Amino acid sequence: MPIIVNLDVMMAKRKISAGNLAERVDITPANLSILKNNKAKAVRFSTLEALCRELDCQPGDILEFVREDKFGNE
Amino acid sequence: MNLKWTSANSLRLSRILTIAVLVLAVGILFLIPVITQWYDDVSGREPIMPVLTVCLYISDIFAVLALWELNTLLANISKQELFTERNTKCVRVISWCCFGLAAVFAVLSFWRLLALLVAVIAAFVGLILRVVKNMLATATELREENDYTI
Repeated sequence: MPIIVNLDVMMAKRKISAGNLAERVDITPANLSILKNNKAKAVRFSTLEALCRELDCQPGDILEFVREDKFGNE
Repeated sequence: MNLKWTSANSLRLSRILTIAVLVLAVGILFLIPVITQWYDDVSGREPIMPVLTVCLYISDIFAVLALWELNTLLANISKQELFTERNTKCVRVISWCCFGLAAVFAVLSFWRLLALLVAVIAAFVGLILRVVKNMLATATELREENDYTI
């Protein structure tokens, strides 16, 4: 998928663990793992808002658009 | 044993009936030459034993395959696995089996016109199942999207 979730980068920058972030954002660690591993199909605005609030960043810091060629390579 | 009419009991009955018909369909595979011979004896028309035997063998294989997939589908439903790709595949296979049956009976209708009626019914059921398969595929997609929306 051309939208990449750079959550692990922001988490490393803010030195916050997955369990801690999941608790603060009020989502399950399993769902946070889906998000981190780019398996998610969509992100709710409320989740994005909570992530930006807790990581003190902008949506663009978490989400990135990567153009794919016609063969699906990034 | 709980004999009240619950959805679990209904599902159990469907599975028992499917397995019974599956066993019957497998049993018929061994009796096809006898059945066709008997038909030729009692029909009083020109004998069509070779054609009828081939058609019944092919259609019985389609029936066994469709019943097997139906049993898999019912087993998945009893495990609460409803909108999955496997179930979509089951309905698709059953639909193609119906189209296969329709083709076999359409060929048979050159010898016995009544077979055309079976062919039309099988094709119609196949068509309905194709629509159900398309619906199931869309529902599976929606469920996956919902599951992976964080």
